[in-house]
Amino acid sequence: MTTAIARPILTRPGFGLRWRTLARVALRMMLHDKLKMIGTLSGVVFAVLLSNQQAGTFMGLLYKNVMFVENSDADIWIAPPGTEAFQPGKPIPESYVLQARVVDGVAWAEPLLYGASTITLPSGGSEAVTLVGTKAPALHGGPWNVVVGDPQALLRPDMMFFEHADREKFGGINLGSVRELGGKRVVASGFTWGLIPFGPSYAFGEYNLVQQILRTPADRISFGLVGVAEGRDHEAVARDIQRALPDTTVLTRSQYRRSIIRYILTRTAIGITFGTSALFGLVIGFVIVALSMFSAVLDNVREFGTLKAIGATNRDLARLLVVQAVVYALMGSLIGLAFVTFVAGKIRSPQLAVFLPVELLIGTTLVMVFMCIFASGLALLRLRKVEPGMVFR
Amino acid sequence: MSIGNHPAVEVKQLGKTYGSGATAFTALRDINMRVEPGEFIMLEGPSGSGKTTLLSILGCVLSPSAGQVKLFGEDVSGRKDSELPQLRLSYIGFVFQGHNLVASLTARENIALVLQLRGWSVQKAHKEAGLLLEQVGLPGKAESKPGDLSGGQRQRVAIARALAGGPPLILADEPTAALDAENGLKVTEILRQLAREQGRTVLVVTHDNRIYHLADRILHIEDGRMREAHHEQAPQ
Repeated sequence: MTTAIARPILTRPGFGLRWRTLARVALRMMLHDKLKMIGTLSGVVFAVLLSNQQAGTFMGLLYKNVMFVENSDADIWIAPPGTEAFQPGKPIPESYVLQARVVDGVAWAEPLLYGASTITLPSGGSEAVTLVGTKAPALHGGPWNVVVGDPQALLRPDMMFFEHADREKFGGINLGSVRELGGKRVVASGFTWGLIPFGPSYAFGEYNLVQQILRTPADRISFGLVGVAEGRDHEAVARDIQRALPDTTVLTRSQYRRSIIRYILTRTAIGITFGTSALFGLVIGFVIVALSMFSAVLDNVREFGTLKAIGATNRDLARLLVVQAVVYALMGSLIGLAFVTFVAGKIRSPQLAVFLPVELLIGTTLVMVFMCIFASGLALLRLRKVEPGMVFR
Repeated sequence: MSIGNHPAVEVKQLGKTYGSGATAFTALRDINMRVEPGEFIMLEGPSGSGKTTLLSILGCVLSPSAGQVKLFGEDVSGRKDSELPQLRLSYIGFVFQGHNLVASLTARENIALVLQLRGWSVQKAHKEAGLLLEQVGLPGKAESKPGDLSGGQRQRVAIARALAGGPPLILADEPTAALDAENGLKVTEILRQLAREQGRTVLVVTHDNRIYHLADRILHIEDGRMREAHHEQAPQ
């Protein structure tokens, strides 16, 4: 016998419970079909690997181009007019350094010589080096990252610091080894590590020695390095120097860094090349994720129909897909980033810098989350067309 | 929302036509029916007679082409598609022919899902799901997934899911089709007994004449038209 008359159910879940409910179903569905999950994850991992390998190499390349500006202790650079990248232009008068020293807010100003030369090998061959001449005793332009020797050794005649990673390349060079550099006999007095720009490695010598090797006119320099007095605004001092030296380009360290990066991105094909490869990685990953999620919906279309029949809305199913997409993105990013970081660590060398800053890793994860949510759109379009009435057929 | 003294289901001049023009197919025409709250009704008829279409319309998963459908006094015909899920949650519990449980969820979770969609907290929903499983005779199967259950057990879980949260109307589509005679009878008896105890109205679409005796009334549908059937009835 009937004991009570049932009533319509008017209660509905709140925002949190609705998400929690759909998230649980989403995760269970993912884990239920492990092969499909692995397939989808592999799409994300692949995208993370390829895009980060390309982006990391690109960042490494950028770092190589800005490392001198970042590591020298100059707050302001006086460069030849029209300078954008870190490469020697037409030499500027050494007197500019003297003029800079009297500008208010300048703590010190020193000349820097920078140019290409060749080292003659014992075997008779030669290798290119990028020569850097810094003024003693302060040696403001380097060397840095010293792994063998004392930079003060450069104050002695004919002493040079070379790149440790190029020791074999330079004919098995050791401390005390004698080499001919640009026709001048020099002695290896120390080694740096990792100072290989986008070109031949740096070799450091005292200003006068390098001047002889490069055969630079006595009153000409490549750059002027300026240190700003403590508490003074670097950009204001740079503006004052620029006013005093209108025939130069005066840049603070950060301005010069930005200028170099802008130059590489806009005036060379490097940015496009690496950017395209990274984009391909994302596109391929997107396609794999989109197809995998779409196929998962097709495989479970009856279950989705059932969910709709028992009261789940299209928005609920969208929530379910979003949860799956975000989980795929986070898991795939975690696996992919762990792998790419491991590989980058293994292949990293002074010649090949794969630079993976935290910003890139976080950015990659966010891009993957957006990519996966976007990729789930295809599956959602299919889900919207699922009729709950199909469960009666 | 209405319930009061209204019939559980009231259908007037209901029609459903699929397609248009030369390819139009009329699945239902001039259907009139009335089901009182607490009734256990069976709907029978040959394949293609319109049973499933009628069930879909009563279940608010399909809109009629003509006529009016009221559930407990509330007119549900002509509603927008976006309103139908809410109507289903408010009024209807479903038992499907193929059980249609979510394969990745346990028996308990399948039942709790419906409760959570009706606003029950996770903890309460899981507790209630356990009680419902006991009521359908599956106390030890709460953590089993559908793949680990027999056909009869799955259908009992589906019945528990249909009853979850207390929807006033249960629509069952061939619930015994995939079961042997013994299990089919048992499952229908469980459905009938629990519906009676809880005051639910049940409409069962079936071909299975072995369970006709459990019905309060049997409706016959053929070529899209309905008439009352006269089979031997179960004693009340």
